[in-house]
Amino acid sequence: MAMRLQVAHSGSGSTSERYVALTLLHGSLMVFFVLTAAPQFGFGYFFLPLQIGANEMAFPLLSGLSFWLTWFSLAGVAVSFFLPVRTGMELWLCSVIAFSFGAILTSINFCTTVTDSRAGGMSLTRLPLTVWAWYVTAVLSLLIFGILLAACVLLLSDWFLGTQFFPLRTTATVSLPALWQRWFWFFAQALVYVALLPCFGIVSHLVATFSRRPVWVERAAVLAICAVGVLGFCIWGFHMFSSALNPYTPLVFSLLASSLGIPASVLLASWLGTLWQAEIRLTTAMLFAIGFISLFLSGGLSGLFLARHEVVAVLISDDFVTGHFHLVMGVAATFAILAALFFWFPKLFGRSLNETLGKIHFWVTFAGVYCIFMPMHWLGLLDRARFGGMTSAGGQGSDAARSFITAAAIVTIAAQVIFLINFFRSLWYGKQEHQRNPWRATTLEWSLPTPIPDDNFGEHTPEVYRGAYLYGVPLGGLDFLPQHVSPERLAKFR
Amino acid sequence: MAGTPVLDDIELIIEDISGGGGKPPSRGDDGGDGGDGGGSESDRRPPQRDSSPKRYSTAMVLAMLSILMFFMVLTAAFVVLRIQNLQAWSGIHMPWILWVNTAVLLSSSATLEVARRKLQMDRLKGFKRMWALTTILGAVFICGQAVAWRQLAAQGVYMTSRLASSFFYVFTALHAVHLLGGICALLYVGLRKFETARVSRFVAAEVASYYWHFMDGLWIFLLALLYFGQ
Repeated sequence: MAMRLQVAHSGSGSTSERYVALTLLHGSLMVFFVLTAAPQFGFGYFFLPLQIGANEMAFPLLSGLSFWLTWFSLAGVAVSFFLPVRTGMELWLCSVIAFSFGAILTSINFCTTVTDSRAGGMSLTRLPLTVWAWYVTAVLSLLIFGILLAACVLLLSDWFLGTQFFPLRTTATVSLPALWQRWFWFFAQALVYVALLPCFGIVSHLVATFSRRPVWVERAAVLAICAVGVLGFCIWGFHMFSSALNPYTPLVFSLLASSLGIPASVLLASWLGTLWQAEIRLTTAMLFAIGFISLFLSGGLSGLFLARHEVVAVLISDDFVTGHFHLVMGVAATFAILAALFFWFPKLFGRSLNETLGKIHFWVTFAGVYCIFMPMHWLGLLDRARFGGMTSAGGQGSDAARSFITAAAIVTIAAQVIFLINFFRSLWYGKQEHQRNPWRATTLEWSLPTPIPDDNFGEHTPEVYRGAYLYGVPLGGLDFLPQHVSPERLAKFR
Repeated sequence: MAGTPVLDDIELIIEDISGGGGKPPSRGDDGGDGGDGGGSESDRRPPQRDSSPKRYSTAMVLAMLSILMFFMVLTAAFVVLRIQNLQAWSGIHMPWILWVNTAVLLSSSATLEVARRKLQMDRLKGFKRMWALTTILGAVFICGQAVAWRQLAAQGVYMTSRLASSFFYVFTALHAVHLLGGICALLYVGLRKFETARVSRFVAAEVASYYWHFMDGLWIFLLALLYFGQ
């Protein structure tokens, strides 16, 4: 909100240095602690072992260590904003190092748990898509946080030991050293997929559950999730089209970045195919999942422009990138996180979130984010102001658009109060959920009582008999087959 | 919430945790007296030994992958900056003790393998002796690296002198830090009483040996990079 006000009334309020610090704080908090931590660390640590039939993560000690490193990192990033610039940057860097260590430990824990702790019968083809997504994300995190750590170590060495790995060359335009740019984008572009991949899994899972249909082309969806992980690791160079790369590299990175459209299209087709002619239950969780698909589609289309180096070089400015990035990564991922929260809330807390409040929150937020970020795309094409709030180029149309964006941001942020009220009210006074499986879902976490016992399945490790998305199979009064119920027991009801 | 009407008996199936054909076990708010009957809580406790020792090897392989990525990124930095400063690059004279250190580290890998063989043959005393020797050789390597730093400093080459020396100090320091982790693992395996541990001595020794050999190979790579990169 403060950033929007600064943009709307540039020159008033914060100084430019504080504005940059605020941008850094906003980016760090959102990218590390919301988009990276919530879908993977937050839901993954709780539901991954449950969904594969394990009693705990492979290394509970590592889980604890990672948890505390993440909290330390969060505190460090938050405090760094209030310190003088130099001290703040040093603390920020140490916090990022702590977060990277935590993320690597988490990745090792997730990969090992999926590889070695699955229940009997839980073959790879029977894994829920959420687990696949967490798995691929963990592999990707394992590789990219090493890059960030290496960059941070050399930067620390420059700051404290006087080395010159990243010499700042002060020319007419001050630019970051090319080596830092390469590493930053190698890490940061892949981090987009670390944030999005778990969301793909969650959305696929929810779409199937609330459509009461199996995931359409499930194996292709799994391959697409893996392909997003692989390609996401390789396309970093398309951020550096204007940074003196070899003349042929933009072509390679353009092709790689554009080819991401293939797995993305497969996933989209899978979601739409699952929804096609389905008896959709429009719960709040499902609304947020569909909202994710809409935002992903809108943001993804603008991404096609950004993958073309000649278009980026000539036509597009920062506002377009900001609109695209926030729509596809920030907001879409937040929608998936909210969808997951509405879906799993009964299993987490034994109570349900209020559906009416949830739907009001959804519709206001959904309309609000489009009103904020679509005009940004337009602004990006309209002017080429390079430094956000610091430049007032653009004329009347541009100013009106900025005011509209700010008004939309105020309404959207205000709508989040509805969510907070719903969350805390439901936590204490929400409808108590006595059923284990209120959504009639197939995966193993719903076979356990609520609240989940400390040792999950204890000595009664479940046996898995089928895939995760057997919906629409008529069986007595049921329209789904849970993964853990044996064929012998089901045979009685056929 | 979902409003699909379901039959009571089917409700029982999906609410049932076990899914198998036997009696529903007693869990949480289930009520009832489920379970398989007989035996106290302590009788049914899982054995002390870890049922899936493979996970330690998996985790170690993943950790090595992450460390490899970390050093490959640093290597990329070395190569890029070396190429960018083709004319201005000023190399360093590698201290002779590095070759001795390398021999020491290679020997430690050999003694580690001998120790593992002895463990396989159930000769615990021989294992402990060779394991301790490996640990000592690891410590000697670290001390040798410190001597190499001193030799370099005696030449007047410090961390900030030039890019080549910066890379030398950073690579050797980071490798030493990782190797110290390996020494801690060796000490853990050598000193731990495994009779009460969740992991067996054999598994612990195997996992520690993966890491140690990896550190060995990594050092050979870094030495070659620093030597030929000058």
